[in-house]
Order: sequence, then C-alpha cells, then structure tokens
Amino acid sequence: MNGNSRQQVIPPTHSRVKAGFVVYSPDSGDRELIILDEGELVAVDKRGGNREIKFRMQPGDIVGVASLFEREPLRYTIEAAQDSSVTILSEESLESELKNIPVWLLALLKNLAVKTRQLKASAHSTPVENTLMSLAEYCAHLESGHKYGFEDLIREFNWLTRIPAATIKGDIKALARRNFIGISKDGDSLYLQVHNATLMQIYSDYLFAQDEGIAWEPLRLSLPQKRILVHLTTLDETVEMEAPEWISLLNERELPIDVAQWITLQDLGCFKEGLSNKFHIDLKKIEYYLTALRYDSNLRGAV
Amino acid sequence: MLVKEGEYLFLEGDKATSLVIVKSGMLVGMSKQLRQRHWQNFGPGSLIGEFSLLESTPREYTVRAAENSEVIFIEQSALQRELELKPAWFKSTLSFIANHCHIAEENQKKRKIVQALPALLFLFSKHLSATGSDNIAVAAIRKKMLVLNNTDASDTDKLLQILEGIGLLKVEGETVRVSSLQIVPMLYEALRHRAINKQVSPDILSITDQLVLTAFVKAVRENGIPLKNGHATVATELLKQQAKKTMFGSALTLRTLAPLLQGGILQSTPAFDEGSALESIESISGDFDRILDLLELNRIFPLLDKNLV
Repeated sequence: MNGNSRQQVIPPTHSRVKAGFVVYSPDSGDRELIILDEGELVAVDKRGGNREIKFRMQPGDIVGVASLFEREPLRYTIEAAQDSSVTILSEESLESELKNIPVWLLALLKNLAVKTRQLKASAHSTPVENTLMSLAEYCAHLESGHKYGFEDLIREFNWLTRIPAATIKGDIKALARRNFIGISKDGDSLYLQVHNATLMQIYSDYLFAQDEGIAWEPLRLSLPQKRILVHLTTLDETVEMEAPEWISLLNERELPIDVAQWITLQDLGCFKEGLSNKFHIDLKKIEYYLTALRYDSNLRGAV
Repeated sequence: MLVKEGEYLFLEGDKATSLVIVKSGMLVGMSKQLRQRHWQNFGPGSLIGEFSLLESTPREYTVRAAENSEVIFIEQSALQRELELKPAWFKSTLSFIANHCHIAEENQKKRKIVQALPALLFLFSKHLSATGSDNIAVAAIRKKMLVLNNTDASDTDKLLQILEGIGLLKVEGETVRVSSLQIVPMLYEALRHRAINKQVSPDILSITDQLVLTAFVKAVRENGIPLKNGHATVATELLKQQAKKTMFGSALTLRTLAPLLQGGILQSTPAFDEGSALESIESISGDFDRILDLLELNRIFPLLDKNLV
C-alpha cells in the first residue's frame, strides 16, 4: 500500500515579509497553505468595507488547510502584523508532496476532509430518512376536514424537517393516491385536506413498524379477536369489571375468549386498568384498530 | 488479514491504535454511540478507525465481515515513520484536518438539537390542543420525534432538558408536563413566524412594551383590581405611578403606550387614536391572562437562543 513512484516534489516558497504586507488576498482566488515560521500574521475580514481582525497567527500556525482539502474558500486577507517569515505551499506544491506519501496516508487525509465536508453540508440537508412516514406523522396532527393552503403547508413542513419541497410534493401525491388526503383548487390557490387525522396516525405507525421490522399490532389480530373488538364498540366505556368477569361476559355472548387471548387484548391496550384490579374498555384504541383494519388496502397502497 | 464471513473484527469501544483498510470483500459496522439505526457498509478501499490511528480513540463501530474479506491494519508506528520523513507542516496539517473534523462533528451534534426544536414544539402544541391535557408521555414524544424528524431519543431528552432549564416544562419521571398550556403554542408560532415570514412575530415585544405590561400587571396585583371576564382595567393615573417604579424612573407616555394599544394587547377608554393625549385617557384595560402569557413568552424567547446555541 505504499506509493511506488517517488515523483519530483515542487518545493514550497519561503519568504520574508515586512509588517503590513498582504500575504494572501481572497480576491486572488488562489488556494494555498500559509505556514508562519516567524513573526505574526493577522487574518482580516474586509468584506462590506469593514476591517475586522478575525484571528492572529503565531509561529507554527497554518492557515488555508480547509481551502485546500475541504474546498472551502479562505475568506480573510492574511497580513503580516510584524516583519515575518512565511512558507507558502501552492496547490501544485501540495499535490506533488501528496504524490510521495503512501496511498493509505493520502486516503486518510482525503477521508477526513470528505467527512468534514459532509458534516458541514448536513446542516442544509434533512435528517429524515423515511420522508413519507414523516409527512404522515405531520398530517396526523392537522385538523380533519380543514383546508390548509398547499404552499403554506409545504413551507411549514419543510421548516420542521428540511425535506426538500419537491420530495414533499411527491409524498403528498403518494398520500393522495391512497385517498388519505384531498387536494382542491379554489381560484388560483391549492388546498390540502386531511380526510381523517387518525388514519394518518395509523399510517405513520404502520410505516414505522415496517421501518423497524416489527409486526404491526393490528395485523397481529386473529379473526375471533377482531369480532370481539367490533362487539366491544357497542359497550359502555365506563363499565369496569375484573378480568374473569370480562372473559365470562364475552363467552356468554358467544365470543369465545380464553385467558391468553384476554392478556393479548390487554397488551394491545384495548382494556385499561382502573381501580381495584378492574378494567374498562378503551374505545379510542379499539377504534384505532378497527379503522386500521377497515383501511388495510389503503395502508398497503393497494388502492 | 483475512476475515471470514460472519466473523467480528472488533467491537465498539475496544481499545485501538490502528487504522483498518478494507482490501477486498465487505464489512458492516454498527455504532450505538453514533446512534445508527442501520448497518454501515465498508467495501474495498474503505477506511475504519481514522481517529484510532491518530488519537488512539476506541473503536467507533462493532464491525463484522458480511462476506469473506481481507483487511490491512496500519499501526501508529507506520504513521510515525512517515511523519518523520515529512516536513513539519505536514504533521500540523494532518492534526488541523483531524481537529477540523472533530469541530464539524461537535457542531453537527449541537445543530441537530437546535434544528429539532421546532418539531418538538409542533408535536407538543398539537398534542396539547388535541387532548387539552398539560402533559405527554416521554416515550410518546420520543417516538414522534423519531418519526417526524429522525431525532433520536437522546437528542429529544437533551432538548427536553434545555426546555426544562428555561422553565417551559418539567420532566416528571416518564411524563413531560408544561408550565402553561398557552406558552408552547405561542412559542411555536413565534418561531414559525420568524422562520417562514422572515419577520419578528407580533407577540415578541420590545423591552419598553414589556416594561409597560409589567407595570400593568403589578398595578393590578398590588391594588387588588378585580378581573371582569378575564379583563383588568387600570386607571391611567395609577398605571403612570406604577410605571415610574417599574420602568426605572421613566415616565409612561402615549408614545410608549401606543404600540400596545395599536397592537390590540391593551385597550383604552376612550378609544385610542393618533391624536389622543395621555391625559384624555381615563383607563387602560387588557386580557390579563394573555398579558401574563405574553410576558412569559418574551422571558423565554431570548433564553432559547442563549441555551440552545
């Protein structure tokens, strides 16, 4: 893994400069490494007609590394604050030097520079991997049936997630294809309407389960369990009974259930524990499961 | 070195002083520290452990071979030998680049938390308005942050801690409780307004406005003025006296009152117009709870920048 062709190195330039001498000007567009050997240099920001000293360099300090390795232009003018001795490494000189180092060391330098560049660039990119899931979660918090201005909604969602507008529009189409949302036109303006915010929450949960590779709860329900859920929606939510009482009530109504199935339904959150070991049904949770089952084909995208 | 498919090369956290170069095959890495959710691939030419070589940092990833692979270890002694042959600037440049990378990593960590704030406030304010409850389970908010913004649990917790530090909410075991139902939506709206409209939200008040409202609140509280339908009415003379104490000796003038009257935060009797004189105004009134919320919002708003950035 060593560089096998030792090529001729273009040596860096060594100079002595007087106080006030401009060692580097951003107007030059050059990309170079400046090493201070003796004396003192200052980095001056002259943008906007001002003159602000950003930092001072002491012997041994280097400036311009980011401009050479990370392609980030050096924005400051480098001036000698006192008589100084500097070494200037041009792009060509650096390249010739780098041709004489082992491949692994060159790769190490490049890797670090690329990593830094990517980390900086991540400031402007979205951290979201599953953009459709993110949009579904956002829509789950909107008001069902309310008309939202299309562009305003995109702007807000982009601000929250930094997902690009074009991607958001694509995902909106995907939700519309599943009949989760409607897009209407009124004059020149477009509006977006979430038909059922709970359904959006269900879709978001469904995508999350898929992403995590876990079995989604509504799909774990057996046919007898589904029948029990439908029956539970006809009951009063305030009624509280102990587990054996619930089991016998359901069995009396020809909805066979054993202890294991009862525990499953309890784990799924269909029954909530109240006082004195008694349970009442959680209608909201049950409706959630039944809605998920009703819109199964929309969730799977088979509409 | 050959690594057979399925074999582990090293575990996250192992002591290390070498760089690994993948010569052939495919290795995969997972890092709890970097909070990865998926395996990262390391194919031919990939480097693993740059900072182990440069700074002896422990392994960042647990790495195993996804197929039969060949790797090369570069030890610190090899790096040392190379650096001795190079001019002094080379070593400085290498450490500058490594340091720059660390700074970029740190900045990214901080930025992730700052950028996750609007999502947290959005989820919180929507939850509060949908349920009418003043709390949410920590587990629920963690999951929603992951789904909406890919913010992991640890960053969500850090953000909650920061917001707890400025008195916006309180983490009580597995529940987060807000100090006021109104402030979170108001704060979200103020941030949204600033980001989307590129303007300061009308709810963000100048120092003078805040001082006038503080004087108003003190005048109501210290004089036991009763509220009517949530509104308090203070005689102008009383407000002037209170303002003298609250506004560090500055007198209440129509000029200082005008923005609040024009913005509808305070109302005057008779109704304020451009030609009004302070002496002609008998009393000032306002929605007391809204004024308290505005003052709280304006206390928190500048603290956000200070605590987050």
